[in-house]
Amino acid sequence: MRILVLSKSVPDLVEELALDEDNGELLHDDMTYVPSEWDDHALEEALLLKEEVGAEVTVLAVDTGDVDNMLFTALAKGADHAVKLTGDFDLATSNRKRAQAIANYLRDNTFDLVLSGVQAIDDIDGQIPAIVAGLLEWPHASVVTEVSIQGEQIHFRQEYGGGLQAEFSAQAPLVLGIQAARKPPRYASIAKVRQMMKSSTVDEIDASADTVPELEIRRFFKPVAAGHAEMIEGDPEEVADRIITILKERKLVRG
Amino acid sequence: MALRYVLMAATVVLFVVAGAIFVGRFWNIYQVMRKSRATIRTDQIGKRLISTIEQVFAHKRMLKVRYSGVLHLFIFSGFVVLLIDVVGSIGQVFSPGFSIGPVLGMIVDIWVGLVLIGVAMAVYQRAVIKPERYHGSDETDGYIILSIITCIVVGIVVHESFYPYAAGPIFGVKAVALSPMEFLAYGLSRIWVSLGWTGATAASIGYAVGYTMDILMIWVFLAYLPYSKHLHVFLAIPNIFVRKMGPHGELVTAPVPEEGIAIRSFRDLSWKDVLDLYTCTECGRCQAVCPAHAAGQPLSPKMVILELREALKKELSGEPPIPLAGGVVSQEELWACTTCGACMEACPVFIEHVPKIVGMRAALLEDGEIDKTAQKVLVGWDRQGNSFGQPLKKRPGWTKGLEISIKDARREPVDWLWFVGDFASYDPRIQDLTRLVARLLQQANVDFGILYDGESNSGNDALRIGEFGLFEALAQKNLEKLQEAEYNMIFTTDPHSLNALKNEYGKYGFHRPVKHYTEAFVDLIDQRKFDLKPLGIRATYHDPCYLGRWNRIFDAPRELMKRVGVDLVEMPRHGENSFCCGAGGGRIWMEEVGIKERPADQRIREALTLEGVTHFVMACPKDVAMFTAAVASTGNEGRLKVVDMAELLAEAAGLGVPDTLVAAR
Ligand SMILES: Cc1cc2nc3c(=O)[nH]c(=O)nc-3n(C[C@H](O)[C@H](O)[C@H](O)COP(=O)(O)OP(=O)(O)OC[C@H]3O[C@@H](n4cnc5c(N)ncnc54)[C@H](O)[C@@H]3O)c2cc1C
Ligand code: SF4
Ligand code: SF4
Repeated sequence: MRILVLSKSVPDLVEELALDEDNGELLHDDMTYVPSEWDDHALEEALLLKEEVGAEVTVLAVDTGDVDNMLFTALAKGADHAVKLTGDFDLATSNRKRAQAIANYLRDNTFDLVLSGVQAIDDIDGQIPAIVAGLLEWPHASVVTEVSIQGEQIHFRQEYGGGLQAEFSAQAPLVLGIQAARKPPRYASIAKVRQMMKSSTVDEIDASADTVPELEIRRFFKPVAAGHAEMIEGDPEEVADRIITILKERKLVRG
Repeated sequence: MALRYVLMAATVVLFVVAGAIFVGRFWNIYQVMRKSRATIRTDQIGKRLISTIEQVFAHKRMLKVRYSGVLHLFIFSGFVVLLIDVVGSIGQVFSPGFSIGPVLGMIVDIWVGLVLIGVAMAVYQRAVIKPERYHGSDETDGYIILSIITCIVVGIVVHESFYPYAAGPIFGVKAVALSPMEFLAYGLSRIWVSLGWTGATAASIGYAVGYTMDILMIWVFLAYLPYSKHLHVFLAIPNIFVRKMGPHGELVTAPVPEEGIAIRSFRDLSWKDVLDLYTCTECGRCQAVCPAHAAGQPLSPKMVILELREALKKELSGEPPIPLAGGVVSQEELWACTTCGACMEACPVFIEHVPKIVGMRAALLEDGEIDKTAQKVLVGWDRQGNSFGQPLKKRPGWTKGLEISIKDARREPVDWLWFVGDFASYDPRIQDLTRLVARLLQQANVDFGILYDGESNSGNDALRIGEFGLFEALAQKNLEKLQEAEYNMIFTTDPHSLNALKNEYGKYGFHRPVKHYTEAFVDLIDQRKFDLKPLGIRATYHDPCYLGRWNRIFDAPRELMKRVGVDLVEMPRHGENSFCCGAGGGRIWMEEVGIKERPADQRIREALTLEGVTHFVMACPKDVAMFTAAVASTGNEGRLKVVDMAELLAEAAGLGVPDTLVAAR
């Protein structure tokens, strides 16, 4: 079983987003980027599968800038290989184009299972796994949990509305968007990451730059606050009194 | 006469057999030590000798637990006396007519008495007092050894008492009457006389029985020792001699092993660590002072040592090795440790528990195993340099709201460089206190500055969680900024930062003076920088582990309290015996599984036993967080006010203390 885990870096939301309000552009160079949290879950699920059935795990990132550390971190956690798709990419590259590059790579290299995070905080559309599967004409499912390998079959779950769970089985090759791994993602110690930097390499693969149908982002902006919240100051009793007054004023309580 | 040859032969044969067993055993231990990591323990010979003498002959640490200390002193000194007897008894058999004389004979008899008193006390302790600290120790071994010792010393008196009557029949020499100075043997021989057991046969049997109980039993003891906790009879003294000398608070000493600090197998222990395992006496003093153990968690420092020793014995007997971290010692045990160091302070034979625990944590961490909240904190330190998951830029956020702005030590020279630390910088509950410290410094006209967002967490806790690589990365960041700044002294309110700056950064060549605010404020008071009016309150003081035990700063906080007119009442556990608040070693971020009563809650209860004490004084930002929560959760807010040193000083100096602080009013 050969598993490919897709990973991307996203802005660190702990720090402020750097936005040029005037021309509506994100200042990518002024932001810190960290590995996408959901990708960590996809990697964890892959590593759990590796521990269970002995799969070979490769992590892949599109070279949008500083992704090496992310790949070495994945190697430190236990991935077997790391691949970086190089070419005409940067942090603003669209998911459509990234998905195309990944699909091209998957045409040339044999994998049984592709896992990605369900979505990433930058665009929140969860499109990459779906587009990759679509381009390759492979089956795909998203918002997936609990992947297991049962002989030739790959089993996994999805949660539906109303608390209903569905269990699927599929034949490889398959693309899955992982919502959460069975266990919280493991830690990679700094020393181990450093050791990986010394002892292993990231395979750089030139990914041909196809032209793909793309959207154009007109501008980024912060939503204009519609109303104002009233912050109630004082000790708990005063605060409670004020809340009751407001509720009464607005006729939200009787009596 | 034939009996003499039998005794001689038995003495020689048993000695050779016991000696061979003994040497073989030591050879095995030596082989393990040889293959383990290096550590330098032969520096400062003079100091080592003095400390060994203090600990061995004056029983300094042993006597901290009075009853056990005294009984051990009796038995221990008995071993010295035993040597005189060995010479005397063997001399008697091998060179007929040999005698150590009545004076030495009397000394032997006195010590036989003392040893017997010691043994009786020990039996009483084990069987009646039953201290909790023995829980988990091998009690049978304890009783076996006490029986052997009793047998030996009784044997001494028995064969001596028969000697005058056996000298002729066995040795063919003229009997010398016993001197009444050898009072025990003399007394006993009177009994033999009255029983009529002084004939050749009876006396020969009596003598042979006594000799067997004494000398032959000593050889059995010698063969048994290496398989019992009583190996400390031989190893305690060398182990004390090669103890860790200092700096006290330095956890990882240079040269740092190239492969990191992780302990996975016995090869990853240092040779001193291996020696520690065999030296442990199972006394359980470490267990008795351990806050994690007291909280009901699965950790006992004693059991960590014993589990490792058992595993090593099994491995040496050919069983397949088990991973130490998470196997021999469970994850739950390892993560429960607060690295408070109370165990190491209590251990009479200077066993080092904390480096072993942290080393095994490092192994778990390398395998990706760690509490999930603590993992977030590690990631936060790596990315933003703080444990609060807050932006780096907000580190100096607490300075907003100060009337006078604080100098940026990266841009201009300052006299004191204030290393603020994570909690004092980011914790909203503590920021008021941080501002108060700034106002005190301004009031005293101190020329000081901070590194603003150039400061990162010191790495002290990262290291104790087992993340040495992260500690190094944080240390390098700070050292780079400290290099750029111009200052005469580092000032900090945080004992954890103080420990890293003072002790852990030394291996990177950093040796600038670092002072805790309690020390610095005492200096300022003595330079009359404040106009103080005595507070007249009765308070107790909690020694933070990283200020007290690990940095031996006990006096400054007490001096400060004295100078602001506080009547200090000590808790039963204070100074080097202080009881940890439970926050250290990364515990503050970890889940509290299996905790029956939090250490901080226990500490508040301890303070409440003190007559008329109204205030609980702290000198560490983490303590402020821990104890504020503890008085609230134990419902004692009305009875005990938790206050920081800075509040006391500010109140005495007439600076307005903000309402948000639980001030000394
Ligand atoms: C990556 C990802 C993240 C998500 N995150 C969240 C989340 O955080 N919180 C949350 O509540 N939900 C989340 N969702 C679920 C999301 O809300 C649902 O996907 C969305 O509401 C659409 O529901 P669906 O997938 O069941 O609809 P689908 O069945 O896929 O239908 C989608 C639309 O297709 C059209 N359509 C479908 N069938 C027909 C038909 N027979 N005839 C005509 N038109 C049709 C309709 O316009 C329909 O509304 C996430 C989904 C994804 C893929
Ligand atoms: S350092 Fe403290 S918490 Fe850790 S084992 Fe020793 S006494 Fe217990
Ligand atoms: S480690 Fe030290 S204190 Fe603890 S049981 Fe062993 S000898 Fe006693």
